[in-house]
Amino acid sequence: MKNKAQVVIIGGGVIGCAIAYELAKRKVKDIVLLEKNSLASGATGRCGAGVRQQWGTEMNLKLSIGSVKRFEILQEELEYPYDLEFEQTGYFMPAYTEKQVEQFKINIALQRQFGLDVQWVQPDEARSIVPIINTHGLLAATFHQKDGHLNPFHVNFAYARAAQRLGVDIHCHTKVLGISTEKDSIKKVSTDKGDIACEIVVNAAGGWSQSIGEMVGINIPTYSERHQILITEPYEPLFKPMVMSFYHNFYTQQEPNGAIIMGIGDPNEMKGYNMEHSLAFAKKCSSLVTRVLPPLKNARMIRQWSGLYNMSPDKTPIIGEASTLNGFYMACGFSGHGFMIAPMTSVLIAQMITKEELDIPEVKTKLDLDRFERGELFIEPSVV
Amino acid sequence: MKHFFDVVIIGAGPAGLCAGNILGNAGKKTLIIERDPFLGGQLLKQTHMFFGSRDQYAGTRGLDIAKIFQNELNSYPNVSVFTDTTATGYYPEEKILLAMKDEKELYEISFDQIIIATGASEKSLLFENNDLPGIFGAGAVQTLMNMYGVLPGTEIIMVGSGNIGLIVSYQLLQAGANVKCIIDAAPHIGGYFVHAAKIRRMGVPIYTQHTIHRAIGKTTLEAVELVKVDNSWKKISDSVFTESCDVLCLAVGLVPMSELLWQMGCDMNFVPELGGSVPARNQWMETSVRGVFVAGDVAGVEEASSAMLEGTIAAIGALKNLGSWNAAIEKKCVHSLEYLKEIRYGPVGEKIRSGLAKVEAR
Repeated sequence: MKNKAQVVIIGGGVIGCAIAYELAKRKVKDIVLLEKNSLASGATGRCGAGVRQQWGTEMNLKLSIGSVKRFEILQEELEYPYDLEFEQTGYFMPAYTEKQVEQFKINIALQRQFGLDVQWVQPDEARSIVPIINTHGLLAATFHQKDGHLNPFHVNFAYARAAQRLGVDIHCHTKVLGISTEKDSIKKVSTDKGDIACEIVVNAAGGWSQSIGEMVGINIPTYSERHQILITEPYEPLFKPMVMSFYHNFYTQQEPNGAIIMGIGDPNEMKGYNMEHSLAFAKKCSSLVTRVLPPLKNARMIRQWSGLYNMSPDKTPIIGEASTLNGFYMACGFSGHGFMIAPMTSVLIAQMITKEELDIPEVKTKLDLDRFERGELFIEPSVV
Repeated sequence: MKHFFDVVIIGAGPAGLCAGNILGNAGKKTLIIERDPFLGGQLLKQTHMFFGSRDQYAGTRGLDIAKIFQNELNSYPNVSVFTDTTATGYYPEEKILLAMKDEKELYEISFDQIIIATGASEKSLLFENNDLPGIFGAGAVQTLMNMYGVLPGTEIIMVGSGNIGLIVSYQLLQAGANVKCIIDAAPHIGGYFVHAAKIRRMGVPIYTQHTIHRAIGKTTLEAVELVKVDNSWKKISDSVFTESCDVLCLAVGLVPMSELLWQMGCDMNFVPELGGSVPARNQWMETSVRGVFVAGDVAGVEEASSAMLEGTIAAIGALKNLGSWNAAIEKKCVHSLEYLKEIRYGPVGEKIRSGLAKVEAR
C-alpha cells in the first residue's frame, strides 16, 4: 500500500467508487480508496436499486435528473463489458389522501418545469400502467416513464474498474483506524494495513460515516437505521414500474428476471448497526404490498435481507467540505437515496476538490454540514 | 399457527429419526419436520442390505430400517411429525422457525433446542445442454426406481465412480437397464473395490480420466460427447467421442444443506473432505450457537450409519441442555461415541477423520 496519497476516499460503495472515478477522470493523481469489507458490501449491494426523478424540490430534481443523464451513458463511458441493466420502466406513485393529491399537484408542476414528462394518472387509468393494481381508495397517481432501475453491483463495479484503469488504488478489507490532523488540516489516515500521508479525505463511509467524523472531531449528525427488503421467486411479467406508495410506506418492483423486490419504511426501524432480518418485517411488508397488488399474495418469498440507511436530520445528504477542517469532504447521510444520485454526487465532490465550477452551485450553501447548526434544514416533501 | 416444542428436529432421515426416538423415549415434547411425504430420507431409496455391526442394522435393507425407526416413533405420543412441511427460514430476532405445509399452511415454531438434520443435496456439472430431459442426478434415479418402480431409461451413462455411482449402476443393471459405461474425471475409481469389481464382472467399462463434453438431443437426450482429461484435469480436445444414450446419470457428490445453519449464525468452515461448508461442533454435535445441534450429512457428507449415531448423540446433547441427564442416557452416549469412532477407523475413514479434525472442538 502507498504511504502517501493526494486523496484518500473512505468507502467502497457506489458513492466512494464514483468519486474515485470522477477525480481520476479530472487527472487527480495518487488516489487511494479504502474499503473495510468488499466493494458494494454495504448499502449499495443491499438497496432496492430504484432510480427516480419525481422529487419535490429543485435541489433533488437537479441531482436526480443529472444522475439519470449520467446513467444513460455510463456503461459506454466507463467501458464496462457488462450490461448495467438500466431499464427506464418508470415510477408509479399513488396518492390516497387529499393532502397527498395536493402535494403531488405541486410536485408535478415543479417537475414539469424541469422538463420531466410526468403523467397525472386518474384511478381508472391506473391499470393501463400497473395492470395488477387494486384501485380501491386510489385518488390519483403520478407516473414518470424515465425513472427506472439499474443493477447496483454492476454500477459499483463499473465505477471501480474504470477508476482502477485510471490509476486509482483500491484496497478492500482495509479498515481505517484513525485520521491525524494538525490545526485545521489533515496529516494522515491510519489503517490496519499501514498509514497513508494525505491532506484530502473523502468520507463516503455510508452507514459508518458518523464514526469517520468522530476520528477528526467533527460531529456529523447522521445515524444508521436498518431497512429490510425481500425478494420473491421469478414470475412472468406482471407490472413494469416501481410502485412507491407514501401512504402505505412501501416500494416494490418486478426485476428484469421476473423476481419481485419489495421493502417498507417502518417508523419503528431499529437504529444502529444491526443487519439481521425479522419475521415481523416479512409479514408487514407482504401484507401492505398485497393490499395494493393483490395477485402478489400467491408469490413465494425466497430471500430477505437488510442494509443501513445513513439518515441525516433532514433526510437529505451532506455533500461538501467541512468548514472547520480543510480537505475533509463528506458525501454521506443519503437517507436511503444514495444509489440513485451517486453520479451527480461524485461529479460535485470531484468538482469541489479540483476547484472547478460546480454543476449545481447551490449545493455548497444548501447541502453543507453547517446547515444543521444554522437551523436551515432542507425539507423534501417526497420521501418515504 | 404458533407452536412451542422442547426440541425441533429438521429432517426425518436416519439422523433425524434416531434423534426423534431418543427424545421420544425421554418424554420430551418433540417435533420432526420433513419436506417429503414419507419418513426415512435416503434410507427409503436404499434397497441394499447394510453391513457392519448388528447394532447398526447390518443385514437389513435401508427401507426396512426406516420402518423400524418409524414404528418406534409412532409409540411416542409426545413426538409430533409434520410431513410435506418445509422449514423455510429461521429468524434470530424473534427466535422463530418458519415452516410451510403443502404450500398452504404457515407455522411459526419456537423451541428450546433444535437439531438440524437436513442432509445434503446433489451437485451437478456444467456442460452444454445439461438441462435436457434424460439428465438426472443419481438421487433422482434412485427415487424413480427404488421408490416408485419407474425405470428412467434403457441406455445409461453414469458420471462418477464413487460409491453412489457404482451402487446406482448396479441397481440399474438389476432393473434391466444397459449401463454402457461409468466415467470419472479422476485418475482412480472413487468407490470401494468390492462395488467396482461387481460392476466390472458384469461387463461395464469404467473410464477414468474422462468427463462429459456436451449432451446432444433435440427434445430429450439422444447422445453425449465424452472427452479424455489430462493429468491437470484439462480436456484433451482431439479425444472427443460420441456415445448414444437416453439417460445420463450424474453421481458427482453431495453438498451439505447448511442454509439454516448460516441463518442461525453458526460458525461455518469450508472443509472439502466433508463436502462443503460445515459447522464447528463439540462432541455433542452442538454448534457454536448454544442449543443448535447438527447430525448427519449436513454436519459433513458421510453415510447412514454415522448419521444414525450422530442423531443419537445430538439428541443426548439436547437432553443434557434440557437438564434431563441420567445414567442410562450416559451409557447410550458413551456407546454411540465409541461406535462412531470405530466406523471412522482405518484407511476408509481417513478423509472423514482429517475433515472432522478441522471442525471439532477439542
